[in-house]
Amino acid sequence: MSNKSFLFADAPRTMLTGFYWAFVIYLLGPLLLMFAMSFKDATFIAFPISNWTLDWYAKVVQDQQFLSAFVYSLFIAFATTCFATIIGVWISMLISAEGIWGKALLFALACLPAVVPGMISAISLRIFVSVLDMQTGTAAIIMGHTVHAVPFVVIMVLTRLRTMPANLVDAARDLGADSFIAFCRVTLPFLGPALVGGMIFCALTSIDDFVRTFFLGGYRPTLPMLIFAKVQGGMSPEINAMATLVVIVTAAVGLYAERLTRRSRIS
Amino acid sequence: MNDRDNPARSGGPTGNAPRYSGWIGRLAGSSAYRFSIGMLAQSRAGRLAMLLAVPLLWIVVFHIGPIFQLARISFLQQFPIPAGSSGAYTWANYQIFFADSVYFVPFVRSLIFSACVTLAALVIVYPVAYYVAKVVDPRRRTKALLLLLVPFWAGELIRTFSVIMLLANRGAANVLMRELGLIDRPIPLLYNYFSLSFGVLYLIALFMLLPLYAAIEKIPSHLVDAAADLGAGPLTRFRRIILPLSKDGIVSGCSLVFLTCVGVFASPLLLGGPGTVIFPEIISAFFHGASDKWPVGAAFSMIMLVAALAIAGLFMRIVGGSRSTRFM
Amino acid sequence: MQPIVHFDNVTKTYGAVPAVDKLDLEIEAGKFVTLLGPSGCGKSTTLRMLGGFETPTSGRIILSGKDVTSLPPNRRNVNIVFQDYALFPHMTVGKNIAFGLELKGMASDRIHRRVTELLELVRLEGFSDRMPAQLSGGQRQRVALMRALAPDPDVLLLDEPLSALDAKLRQQMQIELKSIQERTGKTFIFVTHDQEEALTMSDKIVIMNNGRIEQMGDPHTLYRRPESRFVANFIGETNFFPGKVLEIAGDVAVIDADGDRLRARTAARKPGVGDTVDLAVRPEAIVCSAVKPAGDNAIEGELVQEIFKGNHSSLTIRLPQGRIVHALVDPLKSDGFAPGPIWLSFDETHAVALVA
Repeated sequence: MSNKSFLFADAPRTMLTGFYWAFVIYLLGPLLLMFAMSFKDATFIAFPISNWTLDWYAKVVQDQQFLSAFVYSLFIAFATTCFATIIGVWISMLISAEGIWGKALLFALACLPAVVPGMISAISLRIFVSVLDMQTGTAAIIMGHTVHAVPFVVIMVLTRLRTMPANLVDAARDLGADSFIAFCRVTLPFLGPALVGGMIFCALTSIDDFVRTFFLGGYRPTLPMLIFAKVQGGMSPEINAMATLVVIVTAAVGLYAERLTRRSRIS
Repeated sequence: MNDRDNPARSGGPTGNAPRYSGWIGRLAGSSAYRFSIGMLAQSRAGRLAMLLAVPLLWIVVFHIGPIFQLARISFLQQFPIPAGSSGAYTWANYQIFFADSVYFVPFVRSLIFSACVTLAALVIVYPVAYYVAKVVDPRRRTKALLLLLVPFWAGELIRTFSVIMLLANRGAANVLMRELGLIDRPIPLLYNYFSLSFGVLYLIALFMLLPLYAAIEKIPSHLVDAAADLGAGPLTRFRRIILPLSKDGIVSGCSLVFLTCVGVFASPLLLGGPGTVIFPEIISAFFHGASDKWPVGAAFSMIMLVAALAIAGLFMRIVGGSRSTRFM
Repeated sequence: MQPIVHFDNVTKTYGAVPAVDKLDLEIEAGKFVTLLGPSGCGKSTTLRMLGGFETPTSGRIILSGKDVTSLPPNRRNVNIVFQDYALFPHMTVGKNIAFGLELKGMASDRIHRRVTELLELVRLEGFSDRMPAQLSGGQRQRVALMRALAPDPDVLLLDEPLSALDAKLRQQMQIELKSIQERTGKTFIFVTHDQEEALTMSDKIVIMNNGRIEQMGDPHTLYRRPESRFVANFIGETNFFPGKVLEIAGDVAVIDADGDRLRARTAARKPGVGDTVDLAVRPEAIVCSAVKPAGDNAIEGELVQEIFKGNHSSLTIRLPQGRIVHALVDPLKSDGFAPGPIWLSFDETHAVALVA
């Protein structure tokens, strides 16, 4: 395969390369800017940066509100991931099972929460919660996040299952495993890395989610709600430090998840 | 320690012998298991029940339930239904929408805005996806892709916030332009359509990138070589071969981006101004604050949902594309 | 002796199409039995029904005297070697082989001993910590075989396990499979579409076509005494001479084939006088000569081509009415033939008259 003969000669190729880097700058620029600002020694946000400091980080790390929101978000993400993984895998097993009628419909319904626009999904969940006579708060948030996360688990698991040799489970059953043990012993380990990648993805979307939390949340703020409140309440440079910390953690975890799913796709 | 003299070596397993018969054997043998899951797994009906119960219940209750309730509430006169009344159904909530341009204009604005952002995302992201999938050295392809993915782990609000930092009156863009002597006083970049599209595009570019990349990567390079061999110029090759073959990616990318755009909530609140009120803000007002008119809000949500899905569905029908790649 | 496997009038239909049609089959313990037939003949379905992966539409399957028709695979004492081996990719060779033993609740040290013993049987000592991906095709094949043998099944089922190997390795594995079967004394049921495989290994071959048994018997009998045109054609190569029966004398039929008067043994289904029959003769049963041989069963033809292959020569002969006949001759017994007229003849005991 020769890339040279593909589509364009050299001039357009340079153009494409330039375009790519411009796009990278567009994506990374604002974030890098934010990083830089987090070291600025002034109480207001403005350029240029004259003095550098780590004060904002010290402040953030001691900020009870931030820490509490962070822990709360982690807790919700953890619960969401557990529920979404169990239910998502279960639904995938149903969709991939033999002799199940109406698989296309099942798959479409399983993916429904992923195609409903976020705002409308949040409102429908808010209404659902009050129809059930539930309180808004932690349980409602976890439910909302789980509903949103399940389709992604289903899609990831089904994609991975498609590469599984058809008779691995047959072999396990043949050797004396009933269908549940065959699932635990063969299917789950096979899903392994892809599933972990999917779980991290679930956790990150949960930590990131604003609109559902906004409608379903109680008085205790999650991380995005805290940032939202701070941004609306005026620009404190503290937000820069806070956001930088969050970005570094989530990007590292995200990269790890990406590597896991990529590796599982190769093997 | 002389391992050779270890008497255990000739008898049972030594320390480094593989340990077999782990938890699974004990689990399968335990009576607790045999009388619960083991019993269910024995019969075909039991296996079917294990497979069906939770998924079906979950899908019906949590996937269909909320949308169904949304639809139901949208026809109610009042919600919560006051004690003593039967909760009559009515079209009145829908009529409110058409009665006043205060609602109708943001609705249309919302759809047009989403369509424009989708188109812009397609035009901007396509060359990038193409570059990563076909032009860049295959060994560096993963890195080139990851560089684009990393910002998306930052999350919706943080990215929106970083856009504010860039575009604010004393933000980086204005400071830079003033330093260069291009402007005397800051030009307002924030709280208008520019900042809104800039920010939303920033949020949704990934949803366009991934489907496009997946579709373009699948196009066999020799097809294009063959076309070039037959005398097709670059533009003809793009129009006749690459574009049609990446149609699946275009369809799913555009549908995904459009549906996401319609539902963005936080960014318009933070990046938009009084002149850019779009529909989600209107809907949100019915659920917060004093005007506790949920049925009206529900009706508006339904209108939005149906319109958004209809447009996305129509788009897919017109442009076409294979079933399997939609939304994946 | 009671058969170890008994298919009692078993039918399996998919929609309206029967994949297996009223199958009656008894298999003796300790034998190497091959189900042979073209793809879609029902042999794999038969195997999967015995394994428990398909439920018969009607009929019963008896295994070691027990009706297992509706039992799930994990509760039958049979194990399968799958076509693509189906080794668990995330487990070591040892863990793969131990899988069935663990589920039987065997103690760890006993499992260890059994795994070691089985690996020795196929000369894979020291491989127990390898992953399946690190093995060659032939090694995977052996591990799959040992994994299926480990839980000590009543019957071992093999679903075209050699089809993924290259020709040389396949021949080697055929011999190894047969010797493992003999050493363990297990009943092997082997499914294949490859007649050579079937002839090499089997004690008994069951030839299936369209969901039914065409014929069964030991390899020699099947080769020498095919009972139908299908079997004669499927196992080995056969020349057919269609004709009408003129008379029947005991076990011998006299046939008029395009004017030639030919004599042949009758098949189990005896034709009557006046019936249309196919006279089947193997290429190696045909004797060629330059002059007309004495006696019946002599046909004149024209030698079209002779291909010398070392241990035999392959002759293509055209009969006057255009029919092509293949013959194999021993090059040590003749000096080759000149193109042109040639005489064919065969012993009447080497020819069978099959009712068309």
